[in-house]
Amino acid sequence: MKLPKLKYGTKLNFSDKFFNFFATLSGIGIFVIEFFKQVFRPPYEIEETKRHMLDFGIKSLPIVGTMGIIIGFVLSLEGYAVLQPFGGTEFLPGSVGLSIVREFAPILTALLFAGRVAAGIGAELGSMRVTEQIDAMDVSGVEPFRYLVITRVIAATMILPLLTVYVIVISIFGGYVAVYLEDGMSFTYFVNTMLPYVHITDLIAGLSKTFLFGFAVGIVGSYKGYATEGGTVGVGKSTTSSVVISSLLILFIDMIMVKISLL
Amino acid sequence: MKDVVLKIKNLSKSFDGRKILDAVSLDVYDGENFVVFGRSGTGKSVLLKSVVRLLEPDDGEIFINGENVLTADKKKLTEIRRNIGFLFQSSALYDSMSVRENLSFPLRKIFGITDEKILEQKVRNTLRHVGLESAIDKMPSELSGGMQKRVGLARSIITEPKLMLYDEPTTGLDPITSKEISKLILDLQKKLKMTSVVVTHDLICAEIISDRVIFLKDAKIYAEGTLEELKTKDDDFLRNFFSNKILSEQGE
Repeated sequence: MKLPKLKYGTKLNFSDKFFNFFATLSGIGIFVIEFFKQVFRPPYEIEETKRHMLDFGIKSLPIVGTMGIIIGFVLSLEGYAVLQPFGGTEFLPGSVGLSIVREFAPILTALLFAGRVAAGIGAELGSMRVTEQIDAMDVSGVEPFRYLVITRVIAATMILPLLTVYVIVISIFGGYVAVYLEDGMSFTYFVNTMLPYVHITDLIAGLSKTFLFGFAVGIVGSYKGYATEGGTVGVGKSTTSSVVISSLLILFIDMIMVKISLL
Repeated sequence: MKDVVLKIKNLSKSFDGRKILDAVSLDVYDGENFVVFGRSGTGKSVLLKSVVRLLEPDDGEIFINGENVLTADKKKLTEIRRNIGFLFQSSALYDSMSVRENLSFPLRKIFGITDEKILEQKVRNTLRHVGLESAIDKMPSELSGGMQKRVGLARSIITEPKLMLYDEPTTGLDPITSKEISKLILDLQKKLKMTSVVVTHDLICAEIISDRVIFLKDAKIYAEGTLEELKTKDDDFLRNFFSNKILSEQGE
């Protein structure tokens, strides 16, 4: 697998940066193709994939959980302030639930996940690259792409939807807490007035895109780490650009998926 | 005449228009300790990395036990690589794994050994060879530079390779540890009957290990022979190099 070489240096001009942008895109494209070429072929690194899933998932629980409860709480408070003067508070649970399930939980979980996991993958693989650990694996006859990249991409792809479900539940609870504190609304009433507005299709629309978000995080982090050059400075750059590129990619994928789901 | 284990024919490699290797050819024979000598930046590591195709040469041919390395497909290349051990300059230990896991990793992944008892026995035996059995549960970050080199060496030989490649095995080590590592390389080579190619600029290491030496300069083989022959050769550059004097501009 030959990856396009990026231009390095302190004084890159506009055309160099333009070149690097397309070289990065084509590098990510090569990684995606290589992933699908190898993912269905044995040996399957199941243990390693499980280890990454636990690592990415369990360690992300506190941060995405905190974000979830705050997002639900704030959405409810804002919604209450808008709807209450018009006597429309019975629409609040539905609107909060719908916005959390379709958009807020998937996108915000994915962005936090990108910040934590893409950075982690980029830094770890980048360090392995500059300290010749990837070369050592390659020379020993173990396929590093299979062991290091495929396991991480699968883990990120599988774990993000689960984290999103967790965030949905927590955010809705956060939303209820806010309404309860403002209005004393009962939990049964909150859930009963929310359910008619939130359908299974909304859940599918919200969750289906998180597989793509997770895939983007895994691929971008792995690519940037794998293609790291230039010692510890290079590792720093890979880490940063893993987060930036995967976050942008998540927003871009979201835009397309929302358009598709509304067709 | 012994069999040729490694044959390199007209190997060339350039980086950004600068020629690092220019039509380098050499033969390494079975059981031999072959040392590639040269100053820093003369393409020694490039030569070694080209042998296992970590770098793709621009031109030339490389044969290991008669197999053409440069035209081998991925499957064939993996097969060829499984008979080669490579000790990296940085040791390249997997820093997320303990010493035990570092050593058992190639056995699990390459030979599919899953029996924990066999793995433990093999790992302990190999660590005993390098005198580091007590470090079995340590992480690479807990080891000194010399210990990392020993563990790296143990990981390279655990698969019992026929050809061992050493990239600057003593760089960054103090003279005593450097001597110990060099002697260890020689002992292992004798015990395991391997063929070794050692890239170095460390004279002590070459003195201990080498059967035959080439000296790389200006992208070409500048001199070839035993270390003694090179040391006594009537050549200003070599004389300066081996007498540890600073090279004169003329000598350069």
